[in-house]
Amino acid sequence: MLALLAGAVSGQVPVAPTSETVGRTRGEDVKGYNVVHSFELGYRFRSTGGNLGKYRSDVNYGNGIRLLASHLTVHSKDGHGRWFDELTLSTMGLGNDPYQSAALRLGRNRLFRYDLLWRLNAYYNPALPVSLGQHAMDTRRRLQDHDLTLLPQSKLRFLFGYSRNSQDGPALSTVQQFGAHQDEFPVFAALRRLRNEYRVGGELSLRRMKITLLRGWENFREDSRQTLAAPSPGNNPADRLALRSFRREEPYHGTTPFSRGVLVSEPAPWLTLNLRGSYAITRRDFVLDEFATGVDRFGADRARQIVVFGSGRRPVATANLTLNLLPAESVTIANHTAFHHSRMEGDHVYNETVNNAPVFTSLPFEYLGIRTLANSTDLNYRWTPRTTFFAGYHFSQRRVRSRRQAERTPSPDDVYGEQENTLHSGLAGIRVRPAKPLSIHLDGEIGRASRPFYPVSEKNYHAMSGRLAYRARAFQFTAFSKVNYNTNSSRITAYSSRGRTYAAAGSWTGVSWLSVDAGYTKLHLDTVSGLAYFLGGTAQSGRSLYLSSLHAGNAAARVNFRQRVDLIAGYQLVKDVGDGRSTMGANAFAAAQVFPLSYQSPSARLSVRLRSKLRWNAGYQYYGYGERFSTAQGYRAHTGFSSLLWSF
Amino acid sequence: MRALRVFSFLALVPFCTAAGEKPPPSQGGYVGSAACRACHPDVWLNFYKNPHFRSLALGTEPADKTGCEGCHGPGKAHVEARGGKATIVAFSALQAKEILNRCLECHSRDLGRAQIRRSSHSLADVACTSCHSIHKPATPQHLLARKQADLCYSCHPQIKAQFSMPFKHRVNEGFMRCADCHNPHGAPAAAWRMSQRPRMVETAPQGEQPCLKCHADKRGPFVFEHPAVRVDGCETCHQPHGSANARLLRRPAAFTLCLECHNGAGGFGRRGEGIPALSPVHNLADARYRNCTSCHVRLHGSNADPLFLR
Repeated sequence: MLALLAGAVSGQVPVAPTSETVGRTRGEDVKGYNVVHSFELGYRFRSTGGNLGKYRSDVNYGNGIRLLASHLTVHSKDGHGRWFDELTLSTMGLGNDPYQSAALRLGRNRLFRYDLLWRLNAYYNPALPVSLGQHAMDTRRRLQDHDLTLLPQSKLRFLFGYSRNSQDGPALSTVQQFGAHQDEFPVFAALRRLRNEYRVGGELSLRRMKITLLRGWENFREDSRQTLAAPSPGNNPADRLALRSFRREEPYHGTTPFSRGVLVSEPAPWLTLNLRGSYAITRRDFVLDEFATGVDRFGADRARQIVVFGSGRRPVATANLTLNLLPAESVTIANHTAFHHSRMEGDHVYNETVNNAPVFTSLPFEYLGIRTLANSTDLNYRWTPRTTFFAGYHFSQRRVRSRRQAERTPSPDDVYGEQENTLHSGLAGIRVRPAKPLSIHLDGEIGRASRPFYPVSEKNYHAMSGRLAYRARAFQFTAFSKVNYNTNSSRITAYSSRGRTYAAAGSWTGVSWLSVDAGYTKLHLDTVSGLAYFLGGTAQSGRSLYLSSLHAGNAAARVNFRQRVDLIAGYQLVKDVGDGRSTMGANAFAAAQVFPLSYQSPSARLSVRLRSKLRWNAGYQYYGYGERFSTAQGYRAHTGFSSLLWSF
Repeated sequence: MRALRVFSFLALVPFCTAAGEKPPPSQGGYVGSAACRACHPDVWLNFYKNPHFRSLALGTEPADKTGCEGCHGPGKAHVEARGGKATIVAFSALQAKEILNRCLECHSRDLGRAQIRRSSHSLADVACTSCHSIHKPATPQHLLARKQADLCYSCHPQIKAQFSMPFKHRVNEGFMRCADCHNPHGAPAAAWRMSQRPRMVETAPQGEQPCLKCHADKRGPFVFEHPAVRVDGCETCHQPHGSANARLLRRPAAFTLCLECHNGAGGFGRRGEGIPALSPVHNLADARYRNCTSCHVRLHGSNADPLFLR
């Protein structure tokens, strides 16, 4: 009961659905089955001021009647139900919430087990100030996962699965037309993406071994199209470029057959091994058909058609071998070897026609191959029942090869590259448990990479972390600290990053009528990176300084009055204080160094037990967002709900 | 063909019926679950809802693999002593590794747990019972002690803070779960970056980053790949849990994010000649050029343009 209370408090964001229960916890017995169920039906409301688009991006709850949550479990009491032995159905947000889900499990002992997870996310991206605020999306993503296991308690089990992922809706994007670096035009896009995955496999358990084989097929198809709603002069007012009409269709279809095999074996009490391999080969075919009319930078009429077609291919192979050695009760040694290889290769035919005259045709080909070999060993040694030492060593080597050529046959345009990076890292730490509820964990890691791929990748890094946990029945407390430093400097540029995280959280459930929960986290990151760019045609070099100093806090309390009324109040705050400056900065680079903001959300919920099988709930949650340097994206939102939670 | 079907059926029969063999006679101090019922009615009353009840309902499993004694060991001494933690396997008195060994007697060969001994949780002495409550679960599936996100937050408060940011994956809202991307029982080495980290992120069935399970349009393959996506992974530019910056980016302004790599510094990139710097026509004094993705719209990869313009 106390654990449930604590969970209810820390899980109070967002404010609905509620976590209270109605009816008998043990449920009702009906013809050999036990049934437990509850339904929460209510009305959500919202009232917003400020930037509605940003609110929809961050929160997105709207107005209307919702089945906020429902739970149904049916179990056969003897494990020999006529049709099934277990039925579990949970739903959330059905009706029109932006986040909806339904999870179903249906099973009959020895015969089958079926799991379904359906989810919907109404994703809204309000053309935030990236790409001049001209990239927006208002899409719905629906996810389905079906898994059926036949003979689940047999030594030979059969696995079947199906997953579906669709995304569709309107969007805004930009296109560049009639000459590079001249102008770009906002266009309307209709997104339509669909991914289907089919899986079939089996598991065979032998005496000390289990073999799993899985074969799957993934189909992906995108049939998005872009159009121009009205003639546009483009973003650059200084040129004569204009777009009168535009359409682009780019079907992109392909299949990925994949296989996975796993062997888990325990040949001896002191040895377990796990061998796993997978192979997938993706092929996707595409066509891009684009037609635009307008005026070029010289004021001449242009009709431009671009047709591109071809295919891309990517085989991916992975293999892993894990050996666990248990030479003594106090010692565990785990060794893991991993191999990963993927290569991407593709070609296309590019045809461009301007004013009915062919101007450009090419057949480029590109190859990118990545091969990684890694090995890690971890040693865990329990010195005393209260003290454990652990250490680890990791080695990995990655080779990246690339080739680009204008034609398939070798030519002077053929450009070949190879880069190899080797990483050695070590880890050591200690765990101490001075008393049963108290544990302290300290560790440090250091790594050296020979030739990272990017200026921002890890090269010379070290990290140290500590964790303190106190777990008693009524009081739980966790404190965490981690510092992570990385430098990746080369001859002409420098890169360093320093990340520091401090967090503490605690909950108290000392009495049945009161529980409290609070937490604080500081996430600090500062980086220095070398930059090279142009201002008005003049080369510049400098440094990018970025400082993020995020403070996040949350607190909540739950009070129960006479087993009848529950009141929960909570507050959540995220604040980036930046470097203390009050104005954005003199230029664009200085403005990008910090991003001070404040995001807060107080909430309260009242739940009253009207009858043993009926509760009335009401809640309110405020969301406030503001940036220090701009008011354009700030908003205030008052949201809430009222609902009935019932069972019958 | 028919003969092949008959042969296949006959070949499968021994495996399908192996679980139905009669158990060996009870021995070694096993008394059966009925004996536990008298003193632990609260546990027994709802046990038929527990997945561990299935083996009991089967009625064919040996005594040391089913019912109360399947986990708690032979109960004869415990019954005779009229209780006591010293006379039976009491999980509250076990070390984390002992609990792990106990559970792995049945669960070691499950696909999701095959990496459990090298997982960060096992290395940190997080026992199975730290997350799973066998007799008082808060969730019917997986017998979790609390709702999944709350459970993870209780030890990872800094992750809770990340999911409280303005931009985040919808975990608190219930649309996603931590286990959509992470395997709390340990995962094989990542197939991206240098395969060292992250350690608890499960790859997609195709052996790639789990992000691509949902964001399938970013998966490719593309004729022109952006190596940042393939070589070091999505985390090169994005913070997957949550961020104060739009699109979960690591920087508030996209152009600084791009320029930190595209600075031409020697030693990096495909040929060690640096990640290509901007051409002089990119006049960053003009706000249009500070919005890289206005023109380079296909940043995750393109089939039509090596500069990701379409």
